[in-house]
Amino acid sequence: MVKKVLAKSYVYLMLFLMYVPILVLVVFSFTDGESVGIWNGFTFDLYGRLFRNEEIMIAVGNTVIIALISSVCSTIIGTLGAIGVYYSKRRTRAIIENINQIPVVNAEIVLALSLTFMFVFIGTYIFHENIFSFWTLLFGHMILEVPFVYLNVKPKLQQMDPALYEAALDLGCSPRQALYKVTIPQIAPGVLSGFMLSITLSLDDFIVTAFTSGPGLLSGAGKIETISTFIQSSIKKKIVPIEVRALTTIIVALVLIATVLLVMYQNHLKFKASARILTQKQIVARRIKNSVIYGILAAIVIFFVVIICINL
Amino acid sequence: MKFRFQRKYLAIPFFLFLILFVILPILFIIFYAFTDSNGFFTFDAVVDFFTSPNKLNVLELSLMFSILNTVICLLIGYPIAYILSNAKLNSNGVIVMLFVMPMWINFVLRTWATRDVLSWIGLDGGSHPYEATMIGLVYNYLPFVILPLYNVMLKLDKSQIEAAMDLGCNRVQVFVKSIIPQSIPGVVSAAMMVFMPTMSSYVISDVLSEGQIVLFGNLIYLNFASSQWNYGSFISLFMLALVGISMLITRNFTEKDASKESSRW
Amino acid sequence: MDGGLHKLEKANYIIELKNVSRIFDDDTVAVDNFNFYVKKGEFVTFLGPSGCGKSTTLRMIAGFDFPSKGEILLNGKDISLLPPNKRPINMVFQKYALFPHLDVYENVAFGLRLKKIPVELKDDQGNLVYKINKKKIREIKHEINATKRNRHLTEQEKEEKLAKLNSNLEAVSSNPEVAYKYKKLSNKEIDEKVAKALKIVDLDALEERDISTLSGGQQQRVAIARAIVNEPEILLLDEPLGALDLKMRKDMQLELKDMHTRLGITFIYVTHDQEEALTMSDTIVVMKDGVIQQIGKPKDIYDEPKNAFVADFIGESNIYNATMLKDKHVRFLDFNFVCVDDFPVNEKVDVVIRPEDVEIVPVEKGMIKGYIHNKIFKGVNYQYTVMVGKNELIVKSTKDYQVNSQIGISIEPDSIHIMKKDFTMNIYTDAWINNKNEIMIDDLPFECDITQLIPGSTVDNDGYVVSKDGKHRYDFKDADVVAEVSIEKVEVIDDIEDERVQAVGEIVDQVYKGDHYRLIVRTENEEDFVLDTPYTYNYNDRVGIHIDKADIKMRLKKEAKEYEI
Repeated sequence: MVKKVLAKSYVYLMLFLMYVPILVLVVFSFTDGESVGIWNGFTFDLYGRLFRNEEIMIAVGNTVIIALISSVCSTIIGTLGAIGVYYSKRRTRAIIENINQIPVVNAEIVLALSLTFMFVFIGTYIFHENIFSFWTLLFGHMILEVPFVYLNVKPKLQQMDPALYEAALDLGCSPRQALYKVTIPQIAPGVLSGFMLSITLSLDDFIVTAFTSGPGLLSGAGKIETISTFIQSSIKKKIVPIEVRALTTIIVALVLIATVLLVMYQNHLKFKASARILTQKQIVARRIKNSVIYGILAAIVIFFVVIICINL
Repeated sequence: MKFRFQRKYLAIPFFLFLILFVILPILFIIFYAFTDSNGFFTFDAVVDFFTSPNKLNVLELSLMFSILNTVICLLIGYPIAYILSNAKLNSNGVIVMLFVMPMWINFVLRTWATRDVLSWIGLDGGSHPYEATMIGLVYNYLPFVILPLYNVMLKLDKSQIEAAMDLGCNRVQVFVKSIIPQSIPGVVSAAMMVFMPTMSSYVISDVLSEGQIVLFGNLIYLNFASSQWNYGSFISLFMLALVGISMLITRNFTEKDASKESSRW
Repeated sequence: MDGGLHKLEKANYIIELKNVSRIFDDDTVAVDNFNFYVKKGEFVTFLGPSGCGKSTTLRMIAGFDFPSKGEILLNGKDISLLPPNKRPINMVFQKYALFPHLDVYENVAFGLRLKKIPVELKDDQGNLVYKINKKKIREIKHEINATKRNRHLTEQEKEEKLAKLNSNLEAVSSNPEVAYKYKKLSNKEIDEKVAKALKIVDLDALEERDISTLSGGQQQRVAIARAIVNEPEILLLDEPLGALDLKMRKDMQLELKDMHTRLGITFIYVTHDQEEALTMSDTIVVMKDGVIQQIGKPKDIYDEPKNAFVADFIGESNIYNATMLKDKHVRFLDFNFVCVDDFPVNEKVDVVIRPEDVEIVPVEKGMIKGYIHNKIFKGVNYQYTVMVGKNELIVKSTKDYQVNSQIGISIEPDSIHIMKKDFTMNIYTDAWINNKNEIMIDDLPFECDITQLIPGSTVDNDGYVVSKDGKHRYDFKDADVVAEVSIEKVEVIDDIEDERVQAVGEIVDQVYKGDHYRLIVRTENEEDFVLDTPYTYNYNDRVGIHIDKADIKMRLKKEAKEYEI
């Protein structure tokens, strides 16, 4: 009994420590003190200032755009690659898989540096101008993401019954139709998780972005800044705008909502797979529980929307 | 001859992409590592790296930070993973999710938050660079340790543990003789997730020590920023080699372990 | 006259395999020179143990695999290289291969949704539109090119075929035909067809169910409905009942047979279960190691098996070594039986007697005597193991006899089925002599009597063979020889570490022959040693082989004087 309490409190303590920095920022996003630890009274002011701060908004916009575009491209290339490699000869498969593993294990900074050297070389000797732009940034992010899409799709292909594809051909599909109608629906969960992972990798990235970005997107003629590079350069200049605390809070809220939805979705799948039959009471209880959770999530969203609108 | 669609052709863009953006850039690194600024072949960068006390210091410091970070993360994370693998305390994986969730918040933002909180409690990077960096590293890499360990612990062979108990082991003996050996693959992969990335990390040490602590990642960045591409390339190549070697070692380790597992049955 | 009749017969063939072989990349021969045909509306079963090539044959007919040699004709047209989606053939897969992301209805409708049916094209006035058929021209041109490249045809055949195709081409390109447009089936048509198919398999109420919620038997039915809804000319079934339990399997057998009669389409069925094959098929093709052993009606195959393998594989049987005597007499079990088959006198043969054809009679009335060693009650009858001398004889009878009682045995002449013996000798045509005067069989050295190559010769101290008169000396190093070893002289050794072991191999075949087993031991290099042994082994057991020096008979491939020195 004592052991259990000890174990539990240890876990909760560590969990609390993990969240301390974030919670502190969240709390201090509701005051406008110069730095964390200075409480100037309760205010939603930072949320208004956040949305009026053009630099931050540009960084946020760039981050989202680059994350979406690079993830879509990576998911397409990685998924097709996984299918193609899976049906290649064993030798080819081994070679490509080994190459695919390089960016996964390689240090990000080495990856970024090598890409930069190549871009500089190509720019100098082939295009005779600086080629750093949205495109180099896109390729930089894609090389981070594609290997992981591949690794997410591959197990789904392995789990798939090879006879399904043959059955589709047998029923009149051309190989291409069989791919769309059978293979892709079968590996869809892997494709989706590959896409989600791509998004998070892109949102989180600093080093590759810092090395490979050039002018473009919302930054116009200036170098494309994302949230990561913007914060980093602000820290360097020792003037991080205090509105970033509000930004952090909003990001935390979004992550929280996404996590809750994900957990609920997984539970739903597990429940569906178990094919348990519930009594009327249990069904009602389940519905109430779900509605409460959705209600809380909606309340969080509405809360932030309202305070932002009021302060804008 | 009419073109006939085959599924393996779908890999062509993927393959070209890998060649163009993985293999080719590495060739550039190799090229720059063994040339001088005029493009002539030289071992300058190699000699410089192994003779410059500065760079050797960085290597030593990076190794130290990596080892310490790995050990501390394992010491903190192992019990957490073990406790969480007990279904009673963590019925549907929500707590594991909570440990992993911070990873989805922008990493630079998190590091900045850590820095703010640390300077609030007086551990600012200016006066305590080592402590601040160490705390930042552990904070950042702890989830990477918990996840693989947790996954291994979930798959622990419960019947083996029961057999050990049945054969007269007490709880401590069960832990030492059954659980620890069974979780070794998880420990190895957890260590892999921490050790190499710590060596090459850039943002954490840069932000939390206010530029005072230079790890391998920072060294590469500094060389790049000061246009010393050839030196930077060799250091990158050295890093790449370290990663390759560590991969080989762990692969051997886990394979041996797997074969041992199968031969036992 | 003859040709005309042949053509008439041929028009009735729906599918025909001509010299079809399939050799995989690693040189294993899965299917070896198949020749057979299937008549329209027939229920044909490929029967054989696993790895006999039955599934490969089915996959070639379906289009998932292509023959390395030979051609497959569907209604007289070569479809060997046609992709599966272009064949009017559908398949029921071994583990059903239902699409888990679609419900029952959508699984069945899958093929229909892809189907496009031709509709006559009409102009505004409702008249038929005539056009030159460009698609047909393309097809003929394609076929012309394919014929030119075809390496299996002789020059003359090629020319004839090309001339025919060219005249076809001319005809098509100068005569406009009624034009068609291709239309997908309407939802209503699909609805009707799906409902009909589900009704045939008795699943009408489950349209909206998820595949994962169905039982094995129901999934099986969906798989059948999904195939037959496309109205294929041939339905292929790849061990479709393998995953069901015994009771369900029996029911499904009858139902499939019934479905075959009702639908009137050709069924090609693959199974390793001889009972299934016997109950359901019109024709059975028995296969082993990629070779057809026998084709025939179930009754013919049961009553008149062509060889010991077929006899052993289909039903229970007593198989004995026998010797033909004159005048339709055959000797086995130490008795001269009267039989109906004619074989050359003194030929060694195999004899098959089905357990239910053996009659137990009082001792004094029996042709031979024996005692009941063992008795098992099988429901409809008793199965006795009768010892006749040291031979076992399996007998099925409805009458009850005591164990250990003495009985007489009587066998009618037409119950004795005589088969040509598969082997009497192991013959190795690519053996050679090494420098130690040993014979190399399968690249393994066996001691042998080298002097038999030159009658009356001896071996001198240097290892050369010296003729009787001492005038000639021979060096047989590297000489190619043909070696023969009688089946009875090959000895099997259980312990492969034993020093007498000369070769090691796996047991790939075992047939019981009354008082002994006939084994085939296959070495790593694919050389077979056939031998008789009184003991039973398991398939894939690794055993050693020993052949005594004196038992290897050999002869030179070339003249002896080529080796003279």
